[in-house]
Amino acid sequence: MAKYAMILNYKNCINCKACEVACKEENGIELGAKAHRIWVGTYEIEGKYPFLSIPSSTFYPSQCQHCANAPCEEVCPTHATYYDKNGVVQIDAQKCILCSYCMVACPYDARYVDTRTMSVDKCNFCSDTRLARGLKTTACQATCPTKVRIFGDMEDPNSEVSHILRTKEHFTLKAGIGTEPRLFYIK
Amino acid sequence: MEVEISRRRFLQGSVALSIVATSSTFGGTKPQDNTHMPANAYGITKTSTGGIEIPTLCEVCVNKCALLARVEKGVVTKLDPNPLFPKSKNMLCPRGNAGIQALYDPDRLKYPLIRSGEKGSGKFRRASWAEVNTYLQEKIVTILDEEKDNRSSFLFCAGEGMAEHTFKTFYQLFGSSNWLNHASLCLQTVVSAYGVTLGAYPFADLQNAQYVIMAGANRAEAIVTPDSTELFKKTQGRGAKLVYIDPRFTNTAAKADMWLPIKPGTDLAFVLALTYVVIQEKMYNLAYVETYFSDFEAYEEHILSHEYTPEWAENITGISAKQIREIAREFMLYAPKAIYYPGRRSTFSQSDFQLRRAMALFQALSGGIDTKGGLIFGKNLPLAEHEVSSPIYAQAKSRAIARKKNVKKGESGYEDCAIISGGGSWIGWRNRFLEGKMPYPVRGAFVYKHNPVLNMPNSAKSIEMLKKMDLVVVIDTMPSDTAMYADVILPECTYLERTDPVVSFAGAEPSIAQRNKVVDPMFESKPVREILNDLSHMISKPLFDVTKKYDEDVQAAIEESSEEEVYADFDISKAFEHSQEEANQAAVAKYAGAYETLCTKGVFYPEMERRFKAINANEFQYYPENEKAYSVQNGKPKTASGKIECKLSTMAEQGVDAMPTWHEAFAFSVPEGKFRLITGRHAQFTQSGTANNAMLRDLMDENYLWINASVAKKMKIRFGDTVEVSGKVGKTRLKAYPTEKIGHEVVFFVHGFGSESSALTLAYRQGANDNALIEDIIEPVYGSSIMHETNVEIKKV
Repeated sequence: MAKYAMILNYKNCINCKACEVACKEENGIELGAKAHRIWVGTYEIEGKYPFLSIPSSTFYPSQCQHCANAPCEEVCPTHATYYDKNGVVQIDAQKCILCSYCMVACPYDARYVDTRTMSVDKCNFCSDTRLARGLKTTACQATCPTKVRIFGDMEDPNSEVSHILRTKEHFTLKAGIGTEPRLFYIK
Repeated sequence: MEVEISRRRFLQGSVALSIVATSSTFGGTKPQDNTHMPANAYGITKTSTGGIEIPTLCEVCVNKCALLARVEKGVVTKLDPNPLFPKSKNMLCPRGNAGIQALYDPDRLKYPLIRSGEKGSGKFRRASWAEVNTYLQEKIVTILDEEKDNRSSFLFCAGEGMAEHTFKTFYQLFGSSNWLNHASLCLQTVVSAYGVTLGAYPFADLQNAQYVIMAGANRAEAIVTPDSTELFKKTQGRGAKLVYIDPRFTNTAAKADMWLPIKPGTDLAFVLALTYVVIQEKMYNLAYVETYFSDFEAYEEHILSHEYTPEWAENITGISAKQIREIAREFMLYAPKAIYYPGRRSTFSQSDFQLRRAMALFQALSGGIDTKGGLIFGKNLPLAEHEVSSPIYAQAKSRAIARKKNVKKGESGYEDCAIISGGGSWIGWRNRFLEGKMPYPVRGAFVYKHNPVLNMPNSAKSIEMLKKMDLVVVIDTMPSDTAMYADVILPECTYLERTDPVVSFAGAEPSIAQRNKVVDPMFESKPVREILNDLSHMISKPLFDVTKKYDEDVQAAIEESSEEEVYADFDISKAFEHSQEEANQAAVAKYAGAYETLCTKGVFYPEMERRFKAINANEFQYYPENEKAYSVQNGKPKTASGKIECKLSTMAEQGVDAMPTWHEAFAFSVPEGKFRLITGRHAQFTQSGTANNAMLRDLMDENYLWINASVAKKMKIRFGDTVEVSGKVGKTRLKAYPTEKIGHEVVFFVHGFGSESSALTLAYRQGANDNALIEDIIEPVYGSSIMHETNVEIKKV
């Protein structure tokens, strides 16, 4: 039993997409689709050349936020979406009927259709791949050149994530809507 | 005329091989006890699913990051970073992750191929290794017989890679003097400029720098380890200020504290103005200058008398005088923990060599040399080298293109540039070949891991050169555009299928690393060492017979001793008699336990067990802080004189400015209605080498033309519209990306796309090839190819 969380030192992100490739290689993500488990969010730069806003081009690495109060779980009619014992929001592809309610409900746009299994897919913290092998890091964390991500158990007071949450200012995405994400961004 | 012949005559010195003479040297060291390695030390480990993780080194780009390859049931299923390597610091970029796709690319070269259609038609027939080696033997013997044993009738050229040296050994023993490599297409000017000024091409201690000027080096996209990993954890108010200078707003600009768009090719004026400020305001490190500068007074006088003021530079560069003053002052304030980042890669403009010199001198003025937080020389863990004697072929002519006293421009064999470097001037050589200005016929080429069709300006000329050669032999893993013009293709296995020469990586935290074979070569591919071993066994004796026919020295020597004895000196295959594993073992024999550690962990450095520690799941200590080699000679430059060289009188004799000087011709200008084309790297692609990688193509499947949004609007060009880009040497088409991130007179697209090889089924005709447009303008000092002086027209299709 654990309460898995991820901390994102997002200011380190250089948008190289190593995380995206590592995720695809590790988890066998379908190629050719626009949507996949993780991505780096970018925005159109503000300003007119040569007066451009550097902060407007900040990179926001993102993925399923593993909400403790997940709208996708709430709306799933077949309980294909569920919380596992470690607080990870999981999908049972067998139960999924592709009604896509979860895709609409997710405030983070974290879900997409895998056309091979004909089910909705999303990040599962490498539960069935790396964690199942006994590894302690997700593929995206391990590979990151600038070490954006830190994964761990926030239930364990001695874990690195617990330590960072105690010592560094952080925020969650769309905090006001009550989803209680387990992804924390360091200010 | 009687000449006394001695067999010693044939031995023109020796070639460093990194191999041992006898196997008795092996096995002499007792394997070190590694049981005290920390629990988190990585290496060959069994995975919980019955697989195995094998430590090796990446070769998707130049960096050589350490990785662990997971193998399950004989299949490589995942590449993860190997945290043990101080250079790559527990990271693997998108390309490194996608290396599996290079191994399992359905389009990779699988079998030896012999051309069966017109040259360039892409038609080949499959041959066995025995057949292809026999074929090559006949062709090479015929050419050398016709050319009376002029071994220089063959050109040898290579791209960067850990086995480049193995291929070069083959070239040296073959006896040609025509060698070309990637240097003049890449970092020749920067390496040489720092070399002649500071005595070495230094490392940047970005981990400790507090102020960094980065110009012409896009480290968030053109990833260099450890630089990219260290810098971007610290910028934007988190420990280091990054001043980034680039005509484009890149991902590095997005991570910078200040972005200054500069007019392309005018960086020299910017650096000269910075220098003017610190000299005029006497902000430089007086003690360092007094101790270590040679000809400082001359440089001071040079800078001041030319009035390289910030106001002067403002007009040229487009960067305000106020900002130039601020940057100069801030740099000196933070010095010696301040770095003007040397950069790497291509030559941008004709002033490139002088630009890099000016950068090195500016850095030295701060005293930030061989010191923590500045530019450092680092330490090296030397490897044992074994040498093999290389014979002299009396009939072999000297290098076809050279700067010779009596040869004037336009005459046979003339060279455009002032200084000939080891790697030569690629486009100079190619252009002389096409102009028919070779002093003798060069009829064949061996091309290893190199793609001249796409990797250098004016693709059409490279194609023409390959077409004119009687025998082009390409050794590669992929059917590149260059391979399409081959007569014979020899399939090399990928980096995950071979053990390569062990390499020592210098730096503040030096280490040795080894690429270990992860899986057996697929299909009929082989490591280049085996390819050359087999080929040299096939051709060595028949080629000696050609030598015997034309070489009077050899004939006399045979009379004196015996043919067998003389042949021993001419036997090419002797360079490859040991396996790579044996060679590596000998190279590191002096370090106790090193070879075993390299095989099981991929990385070795002395006292690794004590020094290596996990800090957290992401970060590791390699050397304790007080054991890092930030300073190896107390700031003293590594030049022969022990001084920073302001003035290069010997180069002046070759017509090169003795001190960095601005010339009016360097100014940026674009005729009305045209644009300056600039090119560059991308975090998800390594030149044309990754163009067919399915995983990377999933991130970006074609390149786009960056064009200023306002300009595009006027031209009615919208995102995704196809545009035709045309210049003096060619034209191409690609899609448009109107953006504010580039200036009005400049357009950009990323290098490495637009392959015309139909055998690359994914990359074929996706996007555009920049070198179809870039003019072959030669940099005057080292003959490098200038990448950013081509103007183009844009037309909506």
